[in-house]
Amino acid sequence: MKLKNALTIASATDAGLVRNFNEDSVAANEDLGLVVLADGMGGYKAGDVASGMATMIIGNELKEHLGKGVDKSNGVDLETELLRTAITRANQAIYHAAHNKTQFQGMGTTVVATLFRDNVVTIAHAGDSRLYRLRGGQFDQLTVDHSLLQEQVQLGLISSEDARVSHNRNLVTRALGVTQTIAVDVRQERAQVGDIYLLCSDGLNDMVDDADIELAMRSIRENIPLLVRQLVMMANDNGGHDNISVAAIKVEKPFPLRAGFFSRWFGAHV
Amino acid sequence: MAKLVLSMNGSVLGNYFLEKERFSFGRKPTCDIQINDQGVSKEHAVILTVGNDQILEDLGSTNGTLVNGEKVQRHILQNGDVIEVGRYKLRYVNAKAMPDMDFDKTLMIPAFDRTKLKQEGADKDEADTQGIATAVANARNVKTIFPLGAVRGISGDNTGQEIELSRSITAFGKPDNSAIITRRPVGYFITHVAGKKHPVVNGKAIGDDPFPLDNLDQIEVGPDKLQFYLK
Repeated sequence: MKLKNALTIASATDAGLVRNFNEDSVAANEDLGLVVLADGMGGYKAGDVASGMATMIIGNELKEHLGKGVDKSNGVDLETELLRTAITRANQAIYHAAHNKTQFQGMGTTVVATLFRDNVVTIAHAGDSRLYRLRGGQFDQLTVDHSLLQEQVQLGLISSEDARVSHNRNLVTRALGVTQTIAVDVRQERAQVGDIYLLCSDGLNDMVDDADIELAMRSIRENIPLLVRQLVMMANDNGGHDNISVAAIKVEKPFPLRAGFFSRWFGAHV
Repeated sequence: MAKLVLSMNGSVLGNYFLEKERFSFGRKPTCDIQINDQGVSKEHAVILTVGNDQILEDLGSTNGTLVNGEKVQRHILQNGDVIEVGRYKLRYVNAKAMPDMDFDKTLMIPAFDRTKLKQEGADKDEADTQGIATAVANARNVKTIFPLGAVRGISGDNTGQEIELSRSITAFGKPDNSAIITRRPVGYFITHVAGKKHPVVNGKAIGDDPFPLDNLDQIEVGPDKLQFYLK
């Protein structure tokens, strides 16, 4: 089974209605089953450089290593390792660029990435870009923001209802390119046929209520390119205060690594 | 810089800048604002500064703390809020603390010192890691001055039924032949979602782009006929 035939992928990115530049970057590689979304920050247009470096470097790293046909016997968490390493490399490269060129000083970027391989989706993120999933009737946020707002709620300083009136929505606690090392959250989930995964920058979830994101995913399951366009439009209709990026992946068919061979997950769960 | 304007019975008694991470008021002389009033507890309340937020927290005072007339335990202060303790009023002034216009550029800050904040009475376990809703208040519902729309089924699945188009998206048809009607600030639009046949409006098939709907338009989605109208 070719990944290309098992997944439908669409993405859209828009400057929004207030900002002059779009500092978000989105990249999808259908052959690798990889989607990366990054929300850049800092400096005059440098945020765009940071997010662009992140999506490019992560894509290249995975292309290089997955293309070699790495043996699965290396361990079940191969994808976790590859994705973490790729993001670590991107962090180092952005960090060095930010420290060596004055025009890039202070740049950084969030990142959220999904790698679909062997019926499993590997999810990695740093910062406040998010991943949502619609599975049947169940809508979930699969990432927890690395933001001051999230910490305030977790520490009980404010309630999650109060998060809407907080003034800290722009403060992230992790970003690529800002420190020499980066802590990346990585997790794996078994993918199911019919799942829809949605990556987005905060320009979407700060402008469009979760309930409306869910409603869009439910209503437009059968047209993934329309789904991403619709969500960007909704963010702009509500004010479009920030850059808006959205990428959606629908699992159309199972995608085991070797056809006719029981996949590890099938084996593990039956 | 945020400040508090202290007043009683309409006369201003002083201005206080919130320069400290923890700013307290109460009857005790050690408080940052000492308020000599029988209705005020010794340590009545504090304002904690966390990033751009200033969070008012009642310290279990006898008579409570009001914000804009309502009793609060914890409250993220917004520009213009009026805090009441005893007979005194404290107006919070911070032009940056507006509920809907808080879209400064993203900044990276280090995660804050948990131990310090723990001492400030944070009571929740950090193991609680649920996603939070961050959408600004005005994003909850489509801000629209447009009248509410609805469709009535003429033939097919929804015959005779009225479906109010109150949500941002309403879906019609079956998975293999479907459309959505979206409610936008400028009006209602119908968009083709899936299927070979595009929706038909007043006898004419629409294209791939959202198509604006007018009062009393006749719509066909697959075999279903509907009439759109404004209420």
